[in-house]
Amino acid sequence: MKTKILLDEEEMPKRWYNVAADLLTPLDPPLHPQTGEPLKPEDLEMIFPKGLIRQEMSTERWIDIPEEVREILRLWRPTPLFRAHRLEEHLKTPARIYYKYEGVSPAGSHKPNTAVPQAYYNMKEGVERIATETGAGQWGSALSMATCLFDIQCRVYMVRASFDQKPYRKSIMQVWGAECVASPSELTNAGRMILKDHPDTGGSLGIAISEAVEDAATHDNTNYALGSVLNHVLLHQTVEGQELQKQMAMVDDYPDVIYGCVGGGSNFPGMVFPFVPEKLKEKKEIRMVACEPSACPTLTKGLFTYDFGDTARLTPLLKMYTLGHDFIPPSIHAGGLRYHGDAPLLCNLVHDRVIEAQSFHQNEVFKAAVTFARTEGILPAPEASHALKPAIDDAIACKKTGEEKTIVISLSGHGHFDLSSYDAYFAGNLVDYEYPEELVKQSLANVPKF
Amino acid sequence: MSGLKKVGFLVNPIAGMGGAVGLKGTDGLLEEAVARGAVPVSPRRAEMALAELSGVDALFLTAGGDMGEWALRKSGLRYQVTYRPPEEPTAEDTRKASSSFIDEGADLIVFCGGDGTARDVSEVAGSQVPIIGIPAGVKMHSGVFAISPQAAGELVRGYLEGDLLFRETEIVDVDEELYRSGILETKIYGIAVTPYRPVLVQERKQIYSSRDEEVFKEEIAVFASEFMRDGSAYILGAGTTTAKIAELLGTEKTLLGVDVIKNGRTICSDASEKDLLRMIDEAGGAKIIVSPIGAQGFVLGRGSQQISPEVLRKIGPENLIIVATPHKLKETPRLLVDTGDPEIDEMIAGRRQVICAYRIAQLKDVEASSKVGTD
Repeated sequence: MKTKILLDEEEMPKRWYNVAADLLTPLDPPLHPQTGEPLKPEDLEMIFPKGLIRQEMSTERWIDIPEEVREILRLWRPTPLFRAHRLEEHLKTPARIYYKYEGVSPAGSHKPNTAVPQAYYNMKEGVERIATETGAGQWGSALSMATCLFDIQCRVYMVRASFDQKPYRKSIMQVWGAECVASPSELTNAGRMILKDHPDTGGSLGIAISEAVEDAATHDNTNYALGSVLNHVLLHQTVEGQELQKQMAMVDDYPDVIYGCVGGGSNFPGMVFPFVPEKLKEKKEIRMVACEPSACPTLTKGLFTYDFGDTARLTPLLKMYTLGHDFIPPSIHAGGLRYHGDAPLLCNLVHDRVIEAQSFHQNEVFKAAVTFARTEGILPAPEASHALKPAIDDAIACKKTGEEKTIVISLSGHGHFDLSSYDAYFAGNLVDYEYPEELVKQSLANVPKF
Repeated sequence: MSGLKKVGFLVNPIAGMGGAVGLKGTDGLLEEAVARGAVPVSPRRAEMALAELSGVDALFLTAGGDMGEWALRKSGLRYQVTYRPPEEPTAEDTRKASSSFIDEGADLIVFCGGDGTARDVSEVAGSQVPIIGIPAGVKMHSGVFAISPQAAGELVRGYLEGDLLFRETEIVDVDEELYRSGILETKIYGIAVTPYRPVLVQERKQIYSSRDEEVFKEEIAVFASEFMRDGSAYILGAGTTTAKIAELLGTEKTLLGVDVIKNGRTICSDASEKDLLRMIDEAGGAKIIVSPIGAQGFVLGRGSQQISPEVLRKIGPENLIIVATPHKLKETPRLLVDTGDPEIDEMIAGRRQVICAYRIAQLKDVEASSKVGTD
């Protein structure tokens, strides 16, 4: 029995899969933040290259991956699929557990899968500089690397809470030639306004997005890039799921369930979207479970409605599950999952019950992470560990039922920059936050609609 | 007989009576409390503590009548009356009784009362004789109080068996005149020695005032002001966090009293238990917002006795909303309820949401204090 299920370089996908072609309900269009009208491609040209805008609006099922992009992806792709023999043995489960590991990329996560094509399309259209935000630092690192390879300048607004927790994220971005600043910062109007009201805030992804968008909109040579949420980002991530399909076929197996963590939604959709047509058209029995933190339970407790993608209301209105653009999630250690909304494509499929969602507390998540590290060796990122928790529970349940279930985990990144979080866990300092759903509903019911 | 341990045992029979009728302390207000329908609570609490001590090998020294003698007689423990108080004992008698215990060679003094009683006992005991408080008062900020009568009994037993450590702790009390006019100011009155097992003794109450705290209080208050628009009557307990909610709503709230707010307006200020029961009947239900008291972590039962077991029973535990800033929660290892009714305590206990910021809660274990430390 193999431990690593590996593909040859040539087997790396040549096309991206666009799930927009296979939705049960057409995607509601993004709306202009001022007019409320459906967004036109030219509305986005101030901050995005045309190549990416075309992908953002596309409903073509397959889109070719440029050879220059594949050349760089080859540095770490295809990523390995592991059979978790030791974890299975430890749990004494009849289930077969697999994990597809994206932590082998230079930046340590799945984020370079989209950072590279985004930098590429910007380079093609002569963009000199990109501004972006980062939560946990994974996206900022990935884009720093990608812009470095295409010779583009990069500034990263990093959520203050993560910036302080993980100082070495800034260091690695600097190695790749990028500038990393803590958000909210004094460099933008959005940042200055937040700091005026909340000088001690830990920041949020929503605030950092506002800053990066403002930076791009106010500099002629600068574009904006987003590591999650948008359609083209999810598109680029589908190399993961396509590889997984081939790798499962190599061992003559098929997932009964795939678990993946969701912050804004990019790694998990990338892993499961290629399975959506198999579930809908070929009627394959497969569960796809989005795993999110109880502290920021967008898919499980949010409202499905139009909302801004950022705190300062600069972005288009997106139809998504949201906790409200003014919600600043608590400073949990899975910083990459602190986002009030989620990718519209993912939300569409959750709403249509093609994809499920579950939420977990950080202490139980870290417990699962430690179990995983002590059996499989890999130190998982706290974000990725949200998928380990239900996978382990599921495998334990199989012990009782005797079911030889095939469980696949999307292990999106390593946790080498998250050791202070592990320290906090071992010291018993992690707080389990909860979203007070009933009280929030009660307050929203009485808030005047506008 | 030199090996036999002697334990002074004293009950302040009127301690805690002001609490349920909306008085902040009973000192100097006994008549008012009785007129408002207050009944003695401390004798029962003293008996609960003694119930933990059956079979111990010790001689209890005590004061006559309801100052200890009657409770000891019921318990079946060995005792000797060393002081006879007059018919209506005062603080002076607490001090005299304590002196008599020390004269008779007491190794430890256990008293049942509140901060006022603690002050009187410690004034005499100084730091030469350790003291333990059985909580029965309205205000219990001093570090000599065990977290429940049962825990106090356990501490005495532990002391007699010789397996406890000792520490010095402050005797603190609130300036009662300021307290009644809504200003919370504690003063240190002395240092006492008390035995402890870390889990069983109250931390001295802390009052926070850092800027960080204010930000979170504000966030909690904004969130509360939103969900309080549902038309329900809200009973707000004592403390600075609940006061912030009223401040944000632009309505009046007593800092240390219990107030009722409906549709953003205070409809009953400094309510007594009777007021609350009447309000609940009139409104067809109500919700409660309380915040744990300082580092002791008491959500109910200390500081807001007006929110009595009967009030809680009428409202239902699901309508209890707990609020606390993250810093306070960090400093409070556990949240406790001690309403005096174990059944109600059990109903409230469990894993509960504590609102700690705007639309954010933490999950905390709330425990019935009678269960803590008794395994």
